[in-house]
Amino acid sequence: MVNVEGDAGPGADGGRRRRGDGDRESGADRGDGRADGRGIDRDRESSRGREGGPGPGSEQGRPGPGSQHGGPGPGPEQGGDRVPWDDGLIARRVSRRAAVADSPPEETGPREEDTLPPLGGHYGGPLRSRLDALHELVGLSRTRVESEALAEAGRVLDEAAARQRLSSRHTVIAIAGATGSGKSTLFNALAGVPVSETGLRRPTTSAPIALSWSEGAAGLLDRLAVPGRLRRRPLAGGAADTELQGLVLIDLPDHDSAVTAHRDQVDRVLGLVDAVIWVVDPEKYADAALHERYLRPLAGHAEVTFVVLNQIDRLGTEAADLVLDDLRRLLDEDGVALGEHGEPGATVLAVSALTGDGVPELRDMVAGFVQERTAPERRLAADVDAAAARLRPAYLADGRPGLDERARDAFADRLAVAVGAQAAGEAAERVWRRGAIRACGTPWLRLYRWYERIREHGSTDPHLTTPAEDELTARQRVEQAVRIVADEASRGLPTPWAQAVREAAARGAEGLPEALDELTVTIGDAAARPPRPAWWPAAVLAQVVMTLLQIFGALWLVGQIIGLVEPGLLPPVLVMVGGIIGGPLVEWACEGAVKGPARRYGQEAERRLREAAAACGRARVLDPVAAELMRYREVREQYATVVGTRPSARIVGGGRAGAGRPGATRTGIRGR
Amino acid sequence: MVTLDERPQLIDALSALRDRVAAVRLPLPLPDTPRARQTRAELLAQLDDYLVPRLKDPDAPLLAVIGGSTGAGKSTLVNSLVGRRVSESGVLRPTTRTPVLVCHPEDHHWFAGMRVLPQLTRVWLPQADQDHPADEPLPEENALRVETASSMPRGLALLDAPDIDSLVVENRLLASELICAADIWVMVTTASRYADAVPWHLLRTAKEYDATLVTVLDRVPHQVIGEVSRQYEALLDKAGLGDVPRFTIPELPESADGGSGLLPDSAVAALRGWLAHRAQDPAARQQAADRTATGVIDSLDTRLPELAAAVATQYAAAVRLGGAVEAAYGEQAKRVRKELGRGAVLAGDARTRWRGYPRDSTADELLDAIVESLAALLHCAVSAAEEQVREKWRREPASEALGPVPPGGDREAAERIGVEVRRWRRVLEELAEEEVRTVERPSTSRTALPDADTVAALLAAALLGGRRTRPAGERLAELLGAQAALRLRDKGGELVLMYVDRVLHAERDRRLAPLQALDVTPEPQAELIAALSVLQKEK
Repeated sequence: MVNVEGDAGPGADGGRRRRGDGDRESGADRGDGRADGRGIDRDRESSRGREGGPGPGSEQGRPGPGSQHGGPGPGPEQGGDRVPWDDGLIARRVSRRAAVADSPPEETGPREEDTLPPLGGHYGGPLRSRLDALHELVGLSRTRVESEALAEAGRVLDEAAARQRLSSRHTVIAIAGATGSGKSTLFNALAGVPVSETGLRRPTTSAPIALSWSEGAAGLLDRLAVPGRLRRRPLAGGAADTELQGLVLIDLPDHDSAVTAHRDQVDRVLGLVDAVIWVVDPEKYADAALHERYLRPLAGHAEVTFVVLNQIDRLGTEAADLVLDDLRRLLDEDGVALGEHGEPGATVLAVSALTGDGVPELRDMVAGFVQERTAPERRLAADVDAAAARLRPAYLADGRPGLDERARDAFADRLAVAVGAQAAGEAAERVWRRGAIRACGTPWLRLYRWYERIREHGSTDPHLTTPAEDELTARQRVEQAVRIVADEASRGLPTPWAQAVREAAARGAEGLPEALDELTVTIGDAAARPPRPAWWPAAVLAQVVMTLLQIFGALWLVGQIIGLVEPGLLPPVLVMVGGIIGGPLVEWACEGAVKGPARRYGQEAERRLREAAAACGRARVLDPVAAELMRYREVREQYATVVGTRPSARIVGGGRAGAGRPGATRTGIRGR
Repeated sequence: MVTLDERPQLIDALSALRDRVAAVRLPLPLPDTPRARQTRAELLAQLDDYLVPRLKDPDAPLLAVIGGSTGAGKSTLVNSLVGRRVSESGVLRPTTRTPVLVCHPEDHHWFAGMRVLPQLTRVWLPQADQDHPADEPLPEENALRVETASSMPRGLALLDAPDIDSLVVENRLLASELICAADIWVMVTTASRYADAVPWHLLRTAKEYDATLVTVLDRVPHQVIGEVSRQYEALLDKAGLGDVPRFTIPELPESADGGSGLLPDSAVAALRGWLAHRAQDPAARQQAADRTATGVIDSLDTRLPELAAAVATQYAAAVRLGGAVEAAYGEQAKRVRKELGRGAVLAGDARTRWRGYPRDSTADELLDAIVESLAALLHCAVSAAEEQVREKWRREPASEALGPVPPGGDREAAERIGVEVRRWRRVLEELAEEEVRTVERPSTSRTALPDADTVAALLAAALLGGRRTRPAGERLAELLGAQAALRLRDKGGELVLMYVDRVLHAERDRRLAPLQALDVTPEPQAELIAALSVLQKEK
């Protein structure tokens, strides 16, 4: 323990710290028995807590005046020269240290610990809304996105809820690292007493050991599944510990030894703690096991990460600087943002746990960090970032999803072809015109056409009758139209949602051909029975008159020839010629007059069929697809909320962690 | 037992085996592919770099490769064994990136050529004198620096390998390759590392190959030397490596960066003595080289079948991928035939045209509509098949090797199908024309000579309209006579089926082309096993 303040009596807070879980811990510790009683007077301490402290349940952490005299003097080996000191001093020290540790103190004056913003029960606004959005997102997409992607998000939510229920006054920091890097030694250095066994046997520590500076952390430790016998308290006399109030330090086993059970424990605990101190040493700082397995995936958690280069006593000063720079370079390549120049990010420093070099600085930083009380929130925010990055392929894709007008029109066109709208329209037009011409045509012309038909087709009724039909619509065209519109709609969608859109379209397409068949039947064949315009009788009458004129003229001529009528060539010839010319003239006029209406009639028939088919397609296919797209948009909005409007560096960090790209944003620090 | 006398048959068998291994290609990314690729690379490295050269030249110097974790002090150890700084040591990890080979000047010719480690370019820095350390290694990829030192015993070469566990991936790969080339494996670990997982993995590999192995426990602080080496010994015992020679070197200021960077002679004398004994005593030398060679050859018995199994898995995956395509297209071909029989082509537009024919629509229009409808049917079938293939391939990790489906493929397919169907139409029209020209008209016929277009349209309708267009067939018979009509319909039917199959097969082959380009065949598996059995006979 390195304590620079000689006047700071550590005994001051001895009594008030022992509360809550003190009984259980002391029991467990006694049962354990074996502990190095030399350093830890926890038994004594906890019993003291029972005797001298105010009852359990009173406001913890408040430096009550009575508690100052509750405890006996400082621990045996811990600066016996220290005298009790009052609250104002504690507070000043806290704020001063916080300033040293480069953490923004809220105020410079004396600060009551219980006036700190209580974070318990809720997290700050942004994180809260992001968690809510994530919750919503998981609910909305459970049926569509595959479960393993969501399971991770669900785990983050569970952890957030679990952490939220527990003490927010505490910050759980784990010390992790490779075997032999000196995790336990550093742990002991921070504790000021040898709590965790250190040794030469590799691996040394085989189960996580917890050390909590203030009570109320039992729930947190239960969550970490740290058994009672491995829960420790620091020395009663650790006066400097006031600033570490709220710290729960976990000493982890190694992550790289041949004992894989250790790695499993590390992985489990790392998912639950608020911050991590990675301990590396000059030999192992570039190990792939550390960087590839932990630092790269956790690059988004830089703000709650300390990287400590231990064992600098094995190096010269110059070499230590070199190694530290190289370590920074490697971290930068891992995508870990480095907390320098006031930017948020990981803290990197060099210590020697053995000689104590740099330990006070680390302690100060940890103290400032703990007093900020933002670690749980920041960790969760980083977790949400990571979860969002992992979910990204399920929610975001490049390209603008949605059906534009063009695609909808193309779909309607394809359906129209499938029901044969254009051909039907043309057929209707032709039938109508033919009827008109037949009605108004000269009898002689009709006779000629009939002969032609006989000659060419060999029968008088050229209409080839067909048996009853059941499938009027071209199935394959409908299928293809639906497939194309589904492809169009799902382009630019993430895979699960594209799948959902396709399924919606396929479901809609199931009864579509039958519906279109029915539609065609209902609308009826426009060619079957074309209506007659009002002027037809007049035209027919005119044609009849012309024919009659011809006949009349002919008869007249014949009458003259046989002498029934007075001869006079001109009148009958005129009448006959009038009839002969007038007949085709009437027919020709009718033909001209019928052209426009016939086309209109045909177009009308085509339009009716086309619109009916389009409406049918819209109701059965396009609307479900649009609904699916709408749902996706909704989900994407939720996702945007989850990603949040965090400072870009964090999002970049998260994205980097997800994509596994080496970060190249910071080039300031490079190894020499 | 292999003896190091020249054994031409054995060498031949090994060379043949080597070629078989080199011929193995593992293009499909299956779950076990990375491992199989690594096995292949290791096998090649061991055969090329070690086994074949060693059997060819039994008298070549023994190669001791110093391997271990980053920061274990490999370079310092090599420097100390040689007695001068031949390999750069330092505090930054990983230090050694270019491997350094040190041998006696008279042994130099053994390593200057491409006898061992042929894939590494030799870098020769002759002017690295005693006082000044060698220059910075050239930043060349795949280089091997060859140094000579007269302090080295003859018949022994030391190779300072890069680390096996640092962040630099190339280092790791190179290290495992180099270790494969060694007669003697010198594994360096340290007081703080001796329980690391990665080096133990390597030790187990050494045991598996039964290589001649030495372990060095480096950088042990003086005060704990006894305890640490006891611990290490216990671990080695537990792993079944208790009989492996162990050397312990204490941590000295020189280990880090102080002084000359050389450990005092006393620290490394034992190891040097052991190595020199292996190099100079014929019996020991024979035993050391023999043991590794035999171990490697024996290990082939298990490693080759493993590789062969990976080849078989590849082939199975390729068959599965191809089978998915075949099945999808086969199913669609069946469906198309069914639809054709049902007359599904004569629906929508084509049907309306047909109903209007001959009064309200011309033969040309009818034929146009039928052709378009047929193209639509085929396009639909191809799209459906593609969709099925996509769906099935998505669940196959191996399909990643075949690249993504190019965008716009659907439209291109539609164009190709359109071309093919129009070609069918032309052939059909030619057929009709020919038939009309040669038709023997009954003299009593009261109809005119039939028009070729009419015949073609009626034929198309009769072929593709199924039940609905029976009248079309009757008309044809009326026009051309029953026999001619029948003949025409048979020919036309063949044409339809031919073109439909051609379209579907062409699309299927396009789909299979990238898979076939990978050329995954089952033969290498059998060849590997055959080569192995030849080797086993020769052993």
